[in-house]
Amino acid sequence: MSIGAALFYIIVFPGLLFLLGWTFFVFYFSRKTLAYVHKRVGPHFNGPAGSLQTFWDILKLLTKESITPKSADPYLFNIIPIIVPLIAALPVILIPWTPLINNGHGILDTNYGVLGLVVLIGVEPFLLFLTGFGSNNKYSFLGGMRILAQMISMEAPFFLSALSPALLFGTMNLYDIMFSNTWLTTLILLPGAIIFIIAMLGILEQPPFNVPDAEQEIVYGFYTEYAGTNYVLLKFAEFTEILVVSAAAVTLFFGGYRGIFFDSFWWLFFKIVLIAILVVAIRASNPRLRLDQMLKFTWSWLTPLAILNLVWITFAKLYIVGV
Amino acid sequence: MDRIKEVLNKFDMEYVEDYKSTWIKAKLKNKNDLLKVIESLKEVGVKTCSTVSPTDFIDENRIEVNYFLEDLFNKKNVWLKVDVDRDLEKCEIDSITPLMPSADWHELESFSTFGVKFKGHPNLRYFLISSDYYGKFPFRKDFDWEAHEQNLIENINSISDEFFEDYEKNEKTIGHEESKTVLNWGPTHPASGPIRLKVFINGENVEKIDADIGYVWRALENLVERKDFVGSIVAVERICFMDNPNPMICYSQAVEEIAGKEITPFAKYMRVILGEVGRIASHLISAGSFFGTMGLQTFLMWNLDIREYFLDVLEDYSGARIATASIEPGGVRYPLNDYKAWFETIQKAIDKFESVKADIDDIFIKNPLMSSRAKGNGIFTLNDVEEYYLAGPIARASGAKIDVRIDEPYAAYGELNINYVTCENGDARDRLYIIYKEIMQSIDLIKQAMKKIEEGIESGEMNPTKDHLIRMPRRMPAGEAVSRVEWARGEMLMHLVTTDKSTSPYRLKMRAPSVNHTMVLNKLISGKTLSDIPLLYGSMHICQGDLDR
Repeated sequence: MSIGAALFYIIVFPGLLFLLGWTFFVFYFSRKTLAYVHKRVGPHFNGPAGSLQTFWDILKLLTKESITPKSADPYLFNIIPIIVPLIAALPVILIPWTPLINNGHGILDTNYGVLGLVVLIGVEPFLLFLTGFGSNNKYSFLGGMRILAQMISMEAPFFLSALSPALLFGTMNLYDIMFSNTWLTTLILLPGAIIFIIAMLGILEQPPFNVPDAEQEIVYGFYTEYAGTNYVLLKFAEFTEILVVSAAAVTLFFGGYRGIFFDSFWWLFFKIVLIAILVVAIRASNPRLRLDQMLKFTWSWLTPLAILNLVWITFAKLYIVGV
Repeated sequence: MDRIKEVLNKFDMEYVEDYKSTWIKAKLKNKNDLLKVIESLKEVGVKTCSTVSPTDFIDENRIEVNYFLEDLFNKKNVWLKVDVDRDLEKCEIDSITPLMPSADWHELESFSTFGVKFKGHPNLRYFLISSDYYGKFPFRKDFDWEAHEQNLIENINSISDEFFEDYEKNEKTIGHEESKTVLNWGPTHPASGPIRLKVFINGENVEKIDADIGYVWRALENLVERKDFVGSIVAVERICFMDNPNPMICYSQAVEEIAGKEITPFAKYMRVILGEVGRIASHLISAGSFFGTMGLQTFLMWNLDIREYFLDVLEDYSGARIATASIEPGGVRYPLNDYKAWFETIQKAIDKFESVKADIDDIFIKNPLMSSRAKGNGIFTLNDVEEYYLAGPIARASGAKIDVRIDEPYAAYGELNINYVTCENGDARDRLYIIYKEIMQSIDLIKQAMKKIEEGIESGEMNPTKDHLIRMPRRMPAGEAVSRVEWARGEMLMHLVTTDKSTSPYRLKMRAPSVNHTMVLNKLISGKTLSDIPLLYGSMHICQGDLDR
């Protein structure tokens, strides 16, 4: 890899600029879609159909004072918001984004792609817990405890369902998984995909599993004390994680950038947007669960189902697909 | 009624007389008999205290304490008066809270604003007023408001000092060893509104809730005394902006009763329509914010959209959408010049609601996640209703058949076809369902009233441009009256006292249901989890405006 190419990857695609562009887009997109369901207008005045609203919002937040509360641990409080987006952005090197880069492989073409994804996504919540811990605020701390409880219970079904394509195709290489996928295997993987998407809602703290930042209960959870640039960084990490997790879902279960007639980044993008619409639709029509209800749901339903799904995949591998 | 009279006559009374259809008015001579009277009244079924309202007669050097006691299920009510001495040292009376828990906060309020000490109250403390009013008793006639206002900075400092003391006390008593802490749920919390709930939690479990109220205390009851009888409506309607016309109906009825005037049938039907439109506007927000407490704002947004159409109705009539000032003593404020156009606006609002009703049913009312959280959660039984005097929708959700519109018909409700709407379980979900059912009932009542007005105008009995207001005397005779209406959140009771040839009320007590609904929060939420606080709090449909007044 030449230095020029490396710089291009880091700064333009799939690095910083791409992620920033995605953040602007998905923020605007979810606001506008949610407004449509709410019978509101949503962002309207800045740019065509309000599309520049997010840009100005983030610019405004960057110019605001970054307040560190007196009682907070100043190092923990200010370092974590820098580490979090970096960790959140790391998995992008594993995902095959487009046929144009690296012959269609991910930038880091490894045989342990699934494992890498799962580990890097799983590290994130512990850092977010530290933000709540470092804020030294009752609400932040409660939010941090909640995020730990939620992640420990959601990661089990998440990882187990992410394993199902690896088990079916006998490889952990994301490129191989993507190209082994056919219409038949997509159907076989469908239960796993549904479990993955439900667990994804939990990992991303989307309704009905937005327990850790339940506004009406604990204000804003671990975000409560953050303002200005630190807040932007945390939000940037959140949206990057949304991108990474939904891209992982598409790559693992729905054939990544492969599409009808031609293979392109836009197919991947289109599939991600479909998942985003699903997430927003669930968000617009379902109230939040209680913490204990969420725990009960994951441990007594989702995790057993994810294990059963592995049994089903093994069965399908032996008798339907054939070894 | 006769049994109650018998019981009352056993004691040393100045008079025992009938008042309206459901009340018995009595005055006790000796204040030491009070507890015995209450005990024997409890035996004949009068188990609930609606409110405690002292009146300060400064010329006669006495404070008259009015107890409004109710038998909720048999609709027999007692208005009991006792005189106490006005001097601060001697100004005390036995507390009835041990016998009737529903009197708890009402007694605290009387103590804080009038200085009536209640002997034997379990926790007598200053309440509602901010710390700069402690020991000054602002509703007494000799309280000097202007002198008080001059020390503004010192007053503010004393409030913040009190807060920091409280904060340090909490941190010291609880310490950092265990998983226990105190959360300030409010007054700047996203879901709380201007109220502070001190939540004692152990991890996620709530152990105790201590409500701190008074953040929007505007001393409305005192403000009224400085305005004339018509001007008072703007103070009265600000009790809570959500259901605006009904408090004005309540106040106007009291004034009309003292003046001895009867309003025209047209004005009565207009009051029904305006009152029901206000109720719908309030219920739409209540139902929407019920889901808002669980993080789902869609229903609230949809309801606000519908509510705009009902506010159009108020605007077309009065020119204002929220604070309408549309009902005054003597009828309704404005003539109805083009009644057909106004009825069309009403019809449009009703059509708007009915067009989205099917979607609301499918998505929200039958929502399984909502059911899993709210069903069986926070149950009130009929006993609780009687003990703590839960009113209106909250009581009806538990199956209690209470509705002032039927029990003591006012305006034109006596001539309309109206039935009790009730649910059975009394849990949080039923408190949402009852709201939804009542919107339907209100729409039905509006349709009936519109039909009656149309018939009246066509037959020439009603004249919408002239009948709206009758002449009221500028100076009122001495007297007092109690008036009740079914407000969106429950029964609203107003006790108005006037002196001879007065141009402004001498004393107006406004009793609003949210006080009792906040009082039971501790009982309701203790033992539940942190996530249940907003849900159960939202299910009580509390409005801080009428909590503090």
